[in-house]
Amino acid sequence: MELSLLLDPGILAQVLAQGLVRGSMYALMAAGLSLIFGIMGVKNFSHGELFMIGAYVMFFVTGVMGLPWPMGVAAAAVVLFGFGVLIERTLIATLRKRAGRDWLLDAFVLTIGMLVVMQNLALILFGTERRGVGGLVDGTFVYGPIIITYERMMIVAVAVAVGLALWSFIRYSDLGKAIRATSQDPGAAQTLGIDIQRIYTYTFGIGAALAGLSGGLLISLFPAHPTVGFYPVIKSIACVILGGLGNISGAIIAAMLLGVVEAYSSFFMSGGWQNVMTAVLVIVILIVRPSGLFSSSKVERA
Amino acid sequence: MSLEVSDVVAGYTREVPILNGLDLTAEDGRVTVIIGPNGAGKSTLLKTIYGYLKPERGTIKHDGQSIVGYSPKDMLRKGIAYLIQGHSIFPRMTVEENLELGGWIMGSDSERREALERIYERYPRLKEKRRLSAGILSGGEQRILEIARLTMTGPRTLLLDEPSVGLMPKLVNEVYEEISRLKDEKYTILIVDQNVKKSISIADYVYALALGENRHEGTKEEFAERLDEIVKEWI
Repeated sequence: MELSLLLDPGILAQVLAQGLVRGSMYALMAAGLSLIFGIMGVKNFSHGELFMIGAYVMFFVTGVMGLPWPMGVAAAAVVLFGFGVLIERTLIATLRKRAGRDWLLDAFVLTIGMLVVMQNLALILFGTERRGVGGLVDGTFVYGPIIITYERMMIVAVAVAVGLALWSFIRYSDLGKAIRATSQDPGAAQTLGIDIQRIYTYTFGIGAALAGLSGGLLISLFPAHPTVGFYPVIKSIACVILGGLGNISGAIIAAMLLGVVEAYSSFFMSGGWQNVMTAVLVIVILIVRPSGLFSSSKVERA
Repeated sequence: MSLEVSDVVAGYTREVPILNGLDLTAEDGRVTVIIGPNGAGKSTLLKTIYGYLKPERGTIKHDGQSIVGYSPKDMLRKGIAYLIQGHSIFPRMTVEENLELGGWIMGSDSERREALERIYERYPRLKEKRRLSAGILSGGEQRILEIARLTMTGPRTLLLDEPSVGLMPKLVNEVYEEISRLKDEKYTILIVDQNVKKSISIADYVYALALGENRHEGTKEEFAERLDEIVKEWI
């Protein structure tokens, strides 16, 4: 490791930008995971495959049909919202109704099954080839020694905008309030006439849409292929743990942090170390602050 | 809006009915209290009335019309609101958000706004604390918030399951004062409570359940005389 590089502002900014781009992807993924876990209690192990489908949607809309990238990203979000709603209605809701108390464990196993099915379907339909779309946005931002491509800036900007939109939706909209109410006390929400089954369906749809949007947005760095969702999902699970289970804003901040830590560690150490760093971070946090970096002192959810 | 339950058989599984042909009437504008030992089916009765459990047999009528198969939304539209047992506020939402959610089924924001103003006028303490998280209110205030939230949609019939459970005696009195206030405003109220003395004190009519049937019924005065004897039967 070249210590002199630590003093070069151009390189530091470059690596920071890389970190924020990674962080943006983790944040969108982790926000969806955390939303689904916080409200429904479901640990969605197939979240990475929703990312993968989003990447394919992006590839077909921008790479094959030649439409502009914002339409690809929007299409990825919309398609995955629909897909998420479908999955919730047909599979998860069915389990919840039938399996009684242990249904969460069943749901967990179900999402692992969905992972296997979706990966193999993608393999049959599209093969192992990587299908990417490069150069969504041309040009480079130059300021003294700092050089950052506009594409990276675009990815971070979209992630921030989506994060803010999600936050204000949950905080201020009627549906957002009903979602929070359902997560805090589903029984009470039901007596007030809130259709909690519908709330669960929307929640899963929104979580899936975030994964799809993330897959579409990151296509230039993560070209679509059947197992592209593996690292994003592992990392976003780490962010959900770091941020505190079910704490959406905690997960987003943890994601940005993890992205930056990874970028610096893969730059200053040899490649592959960033994955070790993630694991170390998760283990340390689990030992020191088991309920996450941003939890208040009392444990809110067992 | 009277509530009539007749010959109702219901339970969690078909094999084990909790209610065995229960008959009960909550008269319009009156307070009807249901007492009984644990497992007598008091809470089950309220759940069945509110549509959470489907009766195997029998009828449940509100204002002369069957309400079997209604969703909670339909119940609220018909003017029936239900306070479930235990805490039911949303602790990490503000007092105002809690109240707004009480008006979830209301069609328009302006309608909800009006209902909110009406509640604030009636409960000035809740207005003062409207921006605070409901979770930091005292136990008594939380219960008052729950009752206030129940009246957002302007129901006429209230089903209250254990309104005083887990509260210290002073707060129990406060909650019962509030219920008396609702009684004066001619709500039709059906209460299930462990606190037999307190609930009977505001009752117009009392039912004592045992094993899913009504064993005794009568006015408050009739019950006051026989209470000791009835409670002894439970032990």
